Amino acid sequence: MAEHEFFGDAETRFLQELSRHDVAFMIVGLSAAALQGAPVVTQDVDLWFRELPNPGLEEVLRELHGVYVPPTMATPPMIGGEGIELFDLVTRMDGLESFDDELSRTVPLRLGRFVVRILSLERIIASKREANREKDRLVLRVLEDALATIRAREEGSDEGNDGEKDHPG
Amino acid sequence: MTMKLSHSKIDALCQTQGRNVSQLLDEAGVSRNSYYSLARKEVVVPRSVLKLSAALDVPVSALLDDILPVGERMRRRQRAVESIVADHPDLDRDNVRHTLTLLDEDPLTRIRRALRRGRARILR
Repeated sequence: MAEHEFFGDAETRFLQELSRHDVAFMIVGLSAAALQGAPVVTQDVDLWFRELPNPGLEEVLRELHGVYVPPTMATPPMIGGEGIELFDLVTRMDGLESFDDELSRTVPLRLGRFVVRILSLERIIASKREANREKDRLVLRVLEDALATIRAREEGSDEGNDGEKDHPG
Repeated sequence: MTMKLSHSKIDALCQTQGRNVSQLLDEAGVSRNSYYSLARKEVVVPRSVLKLSAALDVPVSALLDDILPVGERMRRRQRAVESIVADHPDLDRDNVRHTLTLLDEDPLTRIRRALRRGRARILR
Protein backbone atom coordinates (compact mmCIF):
# COMPACT_ATOMS: atom_id res chain seq x y z
CA MET A 1 0.00 0.00 0.00
CA ALA A 2 1.33 3.43 -0.88
CA GLU A 3 2.52 5.51 2.05
CA HIS A 4 0.34 8.51 1.12
CA GLU A 5 -2.81 6.43 1.58
CA PHE A 6 -2.28 6.62 5.34
CA PHE A 7 -2.64 10.38 5.47
CA GLY A 8 -3.63 11.75 2.10
CA ASP A 9 -5.81 14.50 0.71
CA ALA A 10 -8.99 13.27 2.40
CA GLU A 11 -7.47 13.30 5.89
CA THR A 12 -5.81 16.65 5.28
CA ARG A 13 -9.11 18.07 4.05
CA PHE A 14 -10.90 16.91 7.19
CA LEU A 15 -8.42 18.80 9.36
CA GLN A 16 -8.56 21.79 7.06
CA GLU A 17 -12.35 21.94 7.30
CA LEU A 18 -12.20 21.73 11.09
CA SER A 19 -9.76 24.60 11.05
CA ARG A 20 -11.90 26.59 8.59
CA HIS A 21 -14.94 26.16 10.84
CA ASP A 22 -12.95 27.34 13.86
CA VAL A 23 -13.57 24.09 15.69
CA ALA A 24 -11.49 24.01 18.88
CA PHE A 25 -9.39 20.85 18.77
CA MET A 26 -5.81 19.66 18.90
CA ILE A 27 -3.88 16.62 17.73
CA VAL A 28 -2.61 14.64 20.72
CA GLY A 29 -0.88 11.35 21.48
CA LEU A 30 1.77 9.59 19.47
CA SER A 31 0.59 11.06 16.17
CA ALA A 32 1.36 14.52 17.57
CA ALA A 33 4.73 13.22 18.74
CA ALA A 34 5.46 11.78 15.28
CA LEU A 35 4.55 15.08 13.62
CA GLN A 36 7.18 16.76 15.79
CA GLY A 37 9.89 14.30 14.84
CA ALA A 38 9.73 11.59 17.51
CA PRO A 39 10.57 8.16 16.02
CA VAL A 40 7.38 6.42 17.11
CA VAL A 41 4.70 4.43 15.33
CA THR A 42 0.97 4.83 15.69
CA GLN A 43 -2.20 3.32 14.30
CA ASP A 44 -4.43 6.38 14.35
CA VAL A 45 -4.54 10.12 14.87
CA ASP A 46 -6.05 11.18 18.18
CA LEU A 47 -8.04 14.42 18.24
CA TRP A 48 -9.03 16.18 21.44
CA PHE A 49 -12.02 18.51 21.10
CA ARG A 50 -13.06 21.17 23.58
CA GLU A 51 -16.58 19.74 23.58
CA LEU A 52 -18.36 16.61 22.38
CA PRO A 53 -20.82 16.46 20.81
CA ASN A 54 -19.56 19.42 18.85
CA PRO A 55 -21.73 21.41 16.40
CA GLY A 56 -18.73 22.48 14.31
CA LEU A 57 -17.44 18.93 14.06
CA GLU A 58 -20.86 17.66 13.08
CA GLU A 59 -21.19 20.32 10.40
CA VAL A 60 -17.83 19.32 8.93
CA LEU A 61 -18.82 15.66 9.04
CA ARG A 62 -22.06 16.45 7.19
CA GLU A 63 -20.10 18.28 4.47
CA LEU A 64 -17.73 15.34 4.07
CA HIS A 65 -20.48 12.72 4.29
CA GLY A 66 -19.09 11.43 7.56
CA VAL A 67 -20.91 10.51 10.73
CA TYR A 68 -20.62 11.15 14.44
CA VAL A 69 -21.45 8.17 16.65
CA PRO A 70 -22.32 9.25 20.20
CA PRO A 71 -20.85 7.30 23.11
CA THR A 72 -22.68 4.43 24.70
CA MET A 73 -22.12 2.70 28.03
CA ALA A 74 -19.67 0.39 26.26
CA THR A 75 -18.11 2.51 23.53
CA PRO A 76 -16.48 5.93 23.28
CA PRO A 77 -17.69 8.58 20.82
CA MET A 78 -16.51 7.83 17.30
CA ILE A 79 -16.47 9.38 13.86
CA GLY A 80 -16.50 7.63 10.52
CA GLY A 81 -16.48 8.23 6.79
CA GLU A 82 -14.06 8.34 3.91
CA GLY A 83 -10.82 9.93 5.03
CA ILE A 84 -12.04 10.07 8.60
CA GLU A 85 -11.55 6.51 9.85
CA LEU A 86 -7.97 7.33 10.72
CA PHE A 87 -9.07 9.74 13.43
CA ASP A 88 -10.02 8.80 16.97
CA LEU A 89 -11.80 11.08 19.42
CA VAL A 90 -10.22 11.65 22.79
CA THR A 91 -12.43 12.67 25.66
CA ARG A 92 -9.85 12.93 28.43
CA MET A 93 -6.09 13.19 28.72
CA ASP A 94 -4.30 11.84 31.79
CA GLY A 95 -2.02 14.19 33.69
CA LEU A 96 -2.98 17.33 31.78
CA GLU A 97 -4.78 20.55 32.61
CA SER A 98 -8.11 21.62 31.10
CA PHE A 99 -8.53 21.69 27.34
CA ASP A 100 -8.18 25.48 27.22
CA ASP A 101 -5.07 25.49 29.40
CA GLU A 102 -3.46 22.90 27.18
CA LEU A 103 -4.62 24.62 24.00
CA SER A 104 -2.69 27.71 25.03
CA ARG A 105 0.47 25.59 25.25
CA THR A 106 0.08 23.77 21.95
CA VAL A 107 2.40 24.32 19.04
CA PRO A 108 1.16 25.41 15.61
CA LEU A 109 1.78 23.05 12.73
CA ARG A 110 1.33 24.21 9.18
CA LEU A 111 -0.21 21.62 6.90
CA GLY A 112 -0.32 23.14 3.46
CA ARG A 113 -2.43 26.30 3.63
CA PHE A 114 -3.75 25.92 7.13
CA VAL A 115 -2.49 25.52 10.65
CA VAL A 116 -3.51 22.93 13.23
CA ARG A 117 -2.59 22.91 16.91
CA ILE A 118 -0.70 19.94 18.29
CA LEU A 119 0.10 19.00 21.84
CA SER A 120 3.77 19.66 22.52
CA LEU A 121 6.17 16.81 23.10
CA GLU A 122 6.68 17.96 26.69
CA ARG A 123 2.96 17.64 27.42
CA ILE A 124 2.65 14.32 25.59
CA ILE A 125 5.40 12.99 27.86
CA ALA A 126 3.62 14.37 30.94
CA SER A 127 0.43 12.62 29.88
CA LYS A 128 2.16 9.31 29.18
CA ARG A 129 3.90 9.43 32.55
CA GLU A 130 0.61 9.94 34.31
CA ALA A 131 -1.26 7.28 32.31
CA ASN A 132 1.56 4.84 33.11
CA ARG A 133 0.12 1.93 31.15
CA GLU A 134 2.54 -0.66 29.84
CA LYS A 135 2.35 0.78 26.33
CA ASP A 136 3.05 4.25 27.72
CA ARG A 137 6.09 3.08 29.66
CA LEU A 138 7.44 1.37 26.54
CA VAL A 139 7.41 4.55 24.50
CA LEU A 140 8.44 7.06 27.19
CA ARG A 141 12.17 6.60 26.72
CA VAL A 142 11.89 7.24 22.98
CA LEU A 143 9.81 10.38 23.55
CA GLU A 144 12.20 11.72 26.18
CA ASP A 145 15.24 11.09 23.98
CA ALA A 146 13.50 12.72 21.02
CA LEU A 147 12.70 15.81 23.08
CA ALA A 148 16.30 16.05 24.33
CA THR A 149 17.58 15.65 20.77
CA ILE A 150 15.28 18.35 19.41
CA ARG A 151 16.33 20.73 22.19
CA ALA A 152 20.02 19.97 21.63
CA ARG A 153 19.64 20.60 17.91
CA GLU A 154 17.83 23.88 18.52
CA GLU A 155 20.54 25.00 20.93
CA GLY A 156 23.17 24.12 18.35
CA SER A 157 21.24 26.03 15.72
CA ASP A 158 20.93 29.08 17.98
CA GLU A 159 24.66 29.08 18.58
CA GLY A 160 25.36 28.61 14.89
CA ASN A 161 24.05 30.56 11.99
CA ASP A 162 20.44 31.53 11.61
CA GLY A 163 18.64 29.99 14.55
CA GLU A 164 15.90 28.64 12.29
CA LYS A 165 13.97 25.86 13.95
CA ASP A 166 13.10 22.59 12.31
CA HIS A 167 9.97 21.78 14.18
CA PRO A 168 7.24 23.64 15.89
CA GLY A 169 8.04 22.53 19.41
CA MET B 1 11.59 41.01 0.86
CA THR B 2 15.38 40.75 0.70
CA MET B 3 17.51 37.67 0.75
CA LYS B 4 21.05 38.91 1.17
CA LEU B 5 24.11 36.83 1.64
CA SER B 6 25.16 37.53 5.21
CA HIS B 7 28.89 38.13 5.42
CA SER B 8 28.66 38.42 9.21
CA LYS B 9 26.98 35.01 9.49
CA ILE B 10 29.51 33.41 7.17
CA ASP B 11 32.32 35.03 9.10
CA ALA B 12 30.85 33.78 12.40
CA LEU B 13 30.47 30.27 11.00
CA CYS B 14 34.09 30.31 9.82
CA GLN B 15 35.22 31.37 13.29
CA THR B 16 33.29 28.60 15.00
CA GLN B 17 34.89 26.15 12.58
CA GLY B 18 38.40 27.53 13.14
CA ARG B 19 39.11 29.21 9.82
CA ASN B 20 38.70 32.55 8.11
CA VAL B 21 36.67 33.61 5.09
CA SER B 22 39.68 33.53 2.76
CA GLN B 23 40.39 29.94 3.70
CA LEU B 24 36.72 29.10 3.17
CA LEU B 25 36.71 30.62 -0.31
CA ASP B 26 39.85 28.72 -1.27
CA GLU B 27 38.42 25.50 0.05
CA ALA B 28 35.07 25.99 -1.63
CA GLY B 29 36.61 27.10 -4.91
CA VAL B 30 34.78 30.43 -4.90
CA SER B 31 36.65 33.46 -6.18
CA ARG B 32 36.87 36.59 -4.05
CA ASN B 33 35.29 38.59 -6.87
CA SER B 34 32.29 36.26 -7.01
CA TYR B 35 31.91 36.24 -3.25
CA TYR B 36 32.05 40.01 -2.74
CA SER B 37 29.86 40.56 -5.77
CA LEU B 38 27.23 38.28 -4.22
CA ALA B 39 27.66 39.93 -0.81
CA ARG B 40 26.83 43.34 -2.34
CA LYS B 41 23.59 42.15 -3.94
CA GLU B 42 20.30 42.90 -2.20
CA VAL B 43 18.82 39.60 -3.38
CA VAL B 44 20.81 36.48 -4.13
CA VAL B 45 17.79 34.23 -4.56
CA PRO B 46 15.73 34.50 -7.77
CA ARG B 47 12.69 36.71 -7.15
CA SER B 48 10.37 33.98 -8.43
CA VAL B 49 11.62 31.70 -5.66
CA LEU B 50 10.99 34.46 -3.11
CA LYS B 51 7.46 34.88 -4.42
CA LEU B 52 6.81 31.15 -4.14
CA SER B 53 8.10 31.07 -0.57
CA ALA B 54 5.95 34.09 0.34
CA ALA B 55 2.86 32.55 -1.22
CA LEU B 56 3.44 29.30 0.62
CA ASP B 57 4.43 31.11 3.81
CA VAL B 58 7.51 28.98 4.26
CA PRO B 59 11.23 29.86 4.30
CA VAL B 60 13.09 29.63 1.01
CA SER B 61 15.07 26.73 2.41
CA ALA B 62 11.86 24.68 2.55
CA LEU B 63 11.60 24.87 -1.24
CA LEU B 64 15.07 23.62 -1.99
CA ASP B 65 16.30 20.09 -2.30
CA ASP B 66 19.32 19.22 -0.27
CA ILE B 67 22.08 18.91 -2.83
CA LEU B 68 24.49 17.27 -0.43
CA PRO B 69 25.39 13.76 -1.55
CA VAL B 70 23.69 11.10 0.55
CA GLY B 71 27.00 9.93 2.00
CA GLU B 72 27.96 13.42 3.13
CA ARG B 73 24.51 13.98 4.60
CA MET B 74 24.82 10.76 6.59
CA ARG B 75 28.29 11.69 7.80
CA ARG B 76 27.04 15.07 8.96
CA ARG B 77 24.10 13.48 10.72
CA GLN B 78 26.38 10.99 12.43
CA ARG B 79 28.62 13.84 13.61
CA ALA B 80 25.53 15.54 15.02
CA VAL B 81 24.57 12.30 16.79
CA GLU B 82 28.04 12.01 18.32
CA SER B 83 27.99 15.63 19.41
CA ILE B 84 24.59 15.32 21.10
CA VAL B 85 25.42 12.00 22.76
CA ALA B 86 28.72 13.44 24.01
CA ASP B 87 26.76 16.21 25.74
CA HIS B 88 23.96 13.88 26.84
CA PRO B 89 25.47 10.44 27.46
CA ASP B 90 22.22 9.13 28.92
CA LEU B 91 20.49 9.36 25.53
CA ASP B 92 20.06 6.29 23.36
CA ARG B 93 22.15 6.73 20.23
CA ASP B 94 19.53 5.14 17.96
CA ASN B 95 16.78 7.35 19.31
CA VAL B 96 18.93 10.42 18.63
CA ARG B 97 19.79 9.29 15.10
CA HIS B 98 16.22 8.42 14.20
CA THR B 99 14.96 11.74 15.56
CA LEU B 100 17.53 13.71 13.57
CA THR B 101 16.58 11.76 10.45
CA LEU B 102 12.91 12.59 10.94
CA LEU B 103 13.65 16.26 11.61
CA ASP B 104 15.01 16.45 8.07
CA GLU B 105 11.59 15.41 6.76
CA ASP B 106 8.41 17.44 6.61
CA PRO B 107 5.69 16.72 9.21
CA LEU B 108 3.35 15.00 6.77
CA THR B 109 6.05 12.57 5.73
CA ARG B 110 6.75 11.88 9.41
CA ILE B 111 3.14 11.09 10.27
CA ARG B 112 2.69 8.93 7.16
CA ARG B 113 5.77 6.93 8.10
CA ALA B 114 4.51 6.49 11.68
CA LEU B 115 1.07 5.39 10.49
CA ARG B 116 2.39 3.06 7.81
CA ARG B 117 4.56 1.25 10.34
CA GLY B 118 1.89 1.26 13.02
CA ARG B 119 -0.74 -0.11 10.67
CA ALA B 120 1.66 -2.72 9.31
CA ARG B 121 1.75 -4.17 12.80
CA ILE B 122 -2.01 -4.68 12.67
CA LEU B 123 -1.79 -6.44 9.32
CA ARG B 124 0.91 -8.84 10.47
